[in-house]
Amino acid sequence: MVDIWNVAILDPVLNGLIALSQMLWSNFGLAIIVLTIVVRIILMPLTFKQTQSTKAMQALQPKLQEIQKKYARDQKRLQQEMMRLYKEAGINPLGCMWPMLIQMPIWIALYQSIMQALAATPENLILLSQHLYAWDMVDQAIPLNENFLGLKLSQPDPTMILAILVGLTMWVQQKMVTPPATDPRQQQMSSMTTMMMPMMFAFFTLSFPSGLALYWVVSNIIGIIIQYLVGGGWGYFSFPSFRAQPQTQTATQKAAEQPSKALKDGSEKKKG
Amino acid sequence: MIKVKNLVRVVILLGVLLLVFVSGCMPGMDGGCSGAQAQGWSGFAPFNGLICFGSMEGSVITLSPQARSENKTFPAENEWIYAIKTATPGAACGAMCAPSSSASGKGIYATPLVVGDLVFVGTYTGKVYALNANRGVVRWIYPREGYDTVGAIVGNIITDGKALYFGSANGKIYALDALTGDFIWEFQTSSKIWTAPVLDNGVIYSGNYGGNVYAIAAETGREIWSIKIPSAVASSLAVKDQLLYFGTFDRNLYAVDKADGTTKWKYLAGNWFWATPVVRDSTIYAACMDKKIYAIEAAGGKEVWQFEGDSQMVSTPAVTDKYVYAVSEKGTLYKLDIANGKKISSISVNYTVYGNPYAEGDMVYIYARDHTVYSVDTVKNIITWDFSSAIK
Repeated sequence: MVDIWNVAILDPVLNGLIALSQMLWSNFGLAIIVLTIVVRIILMPLTFKQTQSTKAMQALQPKLQEIQKKYARDQKRLQQEMMRLYKEAGINPLGCMWPMLIQMPIWIALYQSIMQALAATPENLILLSQHLYAWDMVDQAIPLNENFLGLKLSQPDPTMILAILVGLTMWVQQKMVTPPATDPRQQQMSSMTTMMMPMMFAFFTLSFPSGLALYWVVSNIIGIIIQYLVGGGWGYFSFPSFRAQPQTQTATQKAAEQPSKALKDGSEKKKG
Repeated sequence: MIKVKNLVRVVILLGVLLLVFVSGCMPGMDGGCSGAQAQGWSGFAPFNGLICFGSMEGSVITLSPQARSENKTFPAENEWIYAIKTATPGAACGAMCAPSSSASGKGIYATPLVVGDLVFVGTYTGKVYALNANRGVVRWIYPREGYDTVGAIVGNIITDGKALYFGSANGKIYALDALTGDFIWEFQTSSKIWTAPVLDNGVIYSGNYGGNVYAIAAETGREIWSIKIPSAVASSLAVKDQLLYFGTFDRNLYAVDKADGTTKWKYLAGNWFWATPVVRDSTIYAACMDKKIYAIEAAGGKEVWQFEGDSQMVSTPAVTDKYVYAVSEKGTLYKLDIANGKKISSISVNYTVYGNPYAEGDMVYIYARDHTVYSVDTVKNIITWDFSSAIK
């Protein structure tokens, strides 16, 4: 199983990354950025589908909240009504998860490749030798130049700048797709979960090689751009300097306008 | 509604955790969650019937093979241990704060050097220790207290009897007074050095990861010549007569003229020559990470024989008059006929080995990654004793 993973996924990505570094003036930082962009472009159809799916889910929020209020005391009926709504809108509530899960092996390979290629310790360098192709380009690139923009890519960033960037970009990305809840308890929970992941990754950044953090930042920024383009704006994210209330209302209003369309589409599909 | 929403979030969270932890910890990612830790792989330095090595726990240990074979309590007579003090980053916030990538590993890579009554040890934390060989107490430490360390020392320290010479991960080659530890000179190269220099007729030769090989005057630290090769220098250098030998990351074993660095020949193999080539008489014995041991004519680069083991050959073989003792990464010790490379016997310690074996008579000593020193009787083909370096 491990051999299949290495031969089919890890080794091509790893060698591609190293060769790319050699092509980009022996700059491994640039190679990480370029490869992240390339992979995200290749996975664009999946990302697009995921974003659309998330958007459709968001569009149903007002309607769902309405049902929730209406059947607050009848859980069984509530579930039935919710499922009916999803069915009519042609949405699988967990459908937006699949594109993400499909992308997972690619991200894992990228993650592993960065860790392996940097070969920070002598032991890592020995392990790296087991994964390299007999390409001149790869041979000449080893060991990689780990310096990039004042960072040592094989070591954690001591300045905390990367940790802040990782946390911030991830938080923005989360905020863009997290609808505001009407119930204060739900709102509290939602805020907590939105904060938890960025904080977790920011904490990881303090411990992991900055090459990985660079990959996370680039990946998040691309995610934000895709979300912005596909979602048609900043979604549920409001800039702190703006008036939060009107912005939120606008987003909610926008979402409120869409369930009828989603429902209409769903019923049309049904008819078809 | 709440249930579905929470379910979605739980799935996202699990996915992220999967990405971070599983990707780092799955079997394909060798060496653990954040890559292989810097544990070290010291070989053995013999003196007065004892063997001295740097442990993966960061100690310098001197063993008496006689006492070990008699299963005496450590330390027996003449044996000692000296624990090198190292700061451990991340102690405040646990393992997550202790990156594998920094030079914080406690293990020792360089094989100790014994000269007279002193043992010299270079550490991965960038210090050189001079210890009394009989008692294991510190004579001097370089850099002095309060000064910055010199960068990770992975390659061995060499000496001409008066001065010590070594390369560091900061790209410098240092010369220190062996008696006092006083700084003599330093030479800045273009890139990181994880290998040992070699000394011949007052000239220090060293390669680095920038693909350069330098010839430096041992007396003054001045450059005599330098060459640039297409790939980084992977192995420490060996010298014999007029030629220097070293392996590179482009899978070649190079022979260059020590007078001016002109390439005389190169031998292409299937992977890196990471181990230091051993020159004996007119033949080079080179362990390669393509699982093979090569015997190559020193003068012309023509292959004499090759032997394939069960896994990568990372460590430098021990070569005697009759035999070549090579240890594979999987921990199999091969006893080969030096004349034709035919396997005479093999025995496994059943654990990964990166450190160089040391042969004395019929006995071969191996330090494996299970933190254990194995003594192998190569005639009876048995492990006669073992010793765990993980002692308090």
